[in-house]
Amino acid sequence: MAEQPAGPPAETGAGPVPYAVELRGITKRFPGVVANRDIELRVRRGEVHAIVGENGAGKSTLMKTLYGMHRPDEGTILLDGRETTLRSPADAIAAGIGMVHQHFMLADNFTVLENVVLGSEPTRGGRLDRATARRRIREISERYALNLDPDVLVEDLGVGDRQRVEIAKVLYRGATTLILDEPTAVLVPQEVDELFGNLAELKREGLTVIFISHKLDEVRKVADSITVIRRGTTVGTADPRTTTARQLAEMMVGSELPSPQTRTSTVRDTPVLELRGVTVASLAGRPSVDDVSLTVREGEVVGIAGVEGNGQAELVDAIMGLRSLAGGVVVLGGQEITAWSTRARREAGVGFVPEDRHRQGMLLEAPLWENRILGHQTRPPAVKGLFIDRAGARADTARIMRDYDVRAPGPDTLAIALSGGNQQKLIVGREMSARPRLLIAAHPTRGVDVGAQAVIWELLKDARAEGMGILLISADLDELIGLSDTLQVMLRGRLVATLDPGTLTPEELGSHMTGAHDGAGSAA
Amino acid sequence: MTALRRTGSALLAPALAVVFAVVITALVILAIGENPSTALRVLFDFGDTPAQQTQAIVVVLNRAVPLFLAGLAVSVAFRMGLFNIGVEGQYRMATVLAAGAGAAVSLPAPLHVVFVIVVAMLVGAFWAGIVAVLKVTRGVSEVISSIMLNFIALGTASWLLTGPLRGSEEGAAIITTKDLPESGQFPGLNGLFDVIGLAQPRGELYGFLLVAVVAGIVIAVLLKRTRFGFDLRATGMSPSAATASGIDARRMVIKTMLISGAVAGLIGLPDLMGRTHHFGTEFTAGLGFLGIAVALLGRNSPLGIAFAALLFAFLDRAAVPLQFADIPASVVTIIQGTIVLAVVVANEIARQLTRRRAEGETGQAAPPAPESPPAGPAGTAGSRIDEHQGAGA
Repeated sequence: MAEQPAGPPAETGAGPVPYAVELRGITKRFPGVVANRDIELRVRRGEVHAIVGENGAGKSTLMKTLYGMHRPDEGTILLDGRETTLRSPADAIAAGIGMVHQHFMLADNFTVLENVVLGSEPTRGGRLDRATARRRIREISERYALNLDPDVLVEDLGVGDRQRVEIAKVLYRGATTLILDEPTAVLVPQEVDELFGNLAELKREGLTVIFISHKLDEVRKVADSITVIRRGTTVGTADPRTTTARQLAEMMVGSELPSPQTRTSTVRDTPVLELRGVTVASLAGRPSVDDVSLTVREGEVVGIAGVEGNGQAELVDAIMGLRSLAGGVVVLGGQEITAWSTRARREAGVGFVPEDRHRQGMLLEAPLWENRILGHQTRPPAVKGLFIDRAGARADTARIMRDYDVRAPGPDTLAIALSGGNQQKLIVGREMSARPRLLIAAHPTRGVDVGAQAVIWELLKDARAEGMGILLISADLDELIGLSDTLQVMLRGRLVATLDPGTLTPEELGSHMTGAHDGAGSAA
Repeated sequence: MTALRRTGSALLAPALAVVFAVVITALVILAIGENPSTALRVLFDFGDTPAQQTQAIVVVLNRAVPLFLAGLAVSVAFRMGLFNIGVEGQYRMATVLAAGAGAAVSLPAPLHVVFVIVVAMLVGAFWAGIVAVLKVTRGVSEVISSIMLNFIALGTASWLLTGPLRGSEEGAAIITTKDLPESGQFPGLNGLFDVIGLAQPRGELYGFLLVAVVAGIVIAVLLKRTRFGFDLRATGMSPSAATASGIDARRMVIKTMLISGAVAGLIGLPDLMGRTHHFGTEFTAGLGFLGIAVALLGRNSPLGIAFAALLFAFLDRAAVPLQFADIPASVVTIIQGTIVLAVVVANEIARQLTRRRAEGETGQAAPPAPESPPAGPAGTAGSRIDEHQGAGA
């Protein structure tokens, strides 16, 4: 779309077709910062419009404005050409705007039907009218090819299905404009393709989709037009057909970009971590980690690829001492640590970047300097003997913020105030500061924007060059192939293939991950 | 700057709650046909003579000391996300056994006092320890087990009082344990009034006030400045992050409950060692539950709890004078109850404001906050407060 912000269509109905959503000069201030400044956004009816930008660039603030979660200080919102004031999400829903959140908000022990109608239940005689609800959900499901069975429990559904339930929920409320916040962050490549299929259906039926992402390849694949946000303001629009991912990324970051590639090997002989026959039992019969043996040497990055839920999380827990083993041994630098506590393992030089930083990596309601202490409660500089060294922790937090480019007002800021990328940089910085021998990095760049991703990749590369052993678990195939010296594929709890990342393509890796390694590869 | 703002909103919630409670109570007094301003006057009327006024201060302080200790005991567990409802039983057991043990031994004065205090703390810790062990080994909710242990404590203490530890005459109207000898009593602080030039009150100001102050400082330092306190607070904020950081959750449960119980053991001692000198049927019950309210009002910080305890004690003082003014003493209970309810609500509002402001500082989205759209299932953020609410009610 050769969209030029030149001629803003004037008053209502003056232009040929009014935009489905138009934002003019939106500014939103919070005490001390301007989160959004002069945002200009024009979304046509029936298109998929992507909004890309680093975490912290102000995408979420903008979407909250559009979803009525707060009101802008300046500027106007026009829906179908009419100026609209959104006081609450209820207003937004009434105006036909629906939001699919990045973190699903579904009740696991409810059925699809119950989840979809929750909050706007059709009733007959005071009771939930299941028949009507079921019919409407079936209609929606068929019309948009969502393939949902209303009577299945949500806990039995996979991630992709759950997302479609979220979409159905929004459609059920009559949304004509859907906002999808980082919808692909939780999906594997195959599921991403399915999602894009669904989006095409929505578009065909005349709905408008606003798609927030920082995965630029996907954005180029799915979007009809793109608006780029940097540092709180819109820096321009782009046509996905004529713009490369690299150009887009440079618009986003405002500078040149690195890539994950590391080709000179720094692998040394001394093993840092050895797993022999590690087995973790699960409640459901088949062990979740089944007889896994692997070695991580100094200066080596060992990547674990696999579709999520194939035992990677349990393997990480087993190495960190968070889950007991049913069999096998864990050896750290020649010393068996199978029976050690998590704290002892950390003290012995294991760094940990957890998969879910909100759940395992941070105290969201604590200031950054307290988060600096987390996981390092027994070591300087944050601790002196039995006491907390507040000054030391603050100073070291300030250093991490400087060295690792954590953008926050100061060490006393609450962790919750940081964007995902900045939180992750703080975690990586914290773990690196203890100079570990071994780093367990689980999805280190998940939900992190391009800028932070590049910083984290650089950090991992530097650490590797200094002789740190790194076990990298990731769902980002480019990251795995780019950073790893050795790649292992995990499927149903077992390591099923050892691959050479030097000659591997993402498609080949994808087919190994789904167990179809002799086929030509069904992955995209 | 942000710290200042944070303190501001921390004070805002309780202050609003108190104002709200006063308004509600005024309406209740109006409804029963009395004059709210009379009640207000009685609340602040400390008497006409200097001696009466200092006496009123002594009454308030003497009541505030056990309330403060109770709030402190509850708050230690709260901070870790544990709900110690068993404070009631813990201090009852501690008081009866400390009274019995204290009367049974003879030691020189300072040692005897220390002995009684140590016995009380050990018994309190033991009683709370049962809860912790049940939780860690069998996964029994501490709420359930500590409520049950309250009943067991009630029965056991009665049995101890009427049986092995009975000290009063057969057939006496009030059954008590033997009196603590002089060496086991805690001297009062009335000398203080001469020093600062106030009239001597009729009653004695509890010397245990000093122990309470020390306990408050120790707990404050423990929570805020030590590694142990960090582990405790981290576990309270996010059990999963705490475990991943290497904190042994089970051990933390046991240690925290032992500390909470040990502090709870002190609650009955100001009365025991400063006034009655024995455990008896006129024992002051209910402080454990009031402690939950005090901890809530004080937002689990020792300083806040001190203020909350003083406020509750100030209200309690008026119970008798109110009746002279033909206003039911239960007005005090209504005020206290409304404060607790209001503070739960106000805390949650203040929390959301802080959270939203924190998000605003960098204009960033946090994980799905409570302000999310209508259809979502109950948010997790508010659940901790909800629990508090459950108990406060």
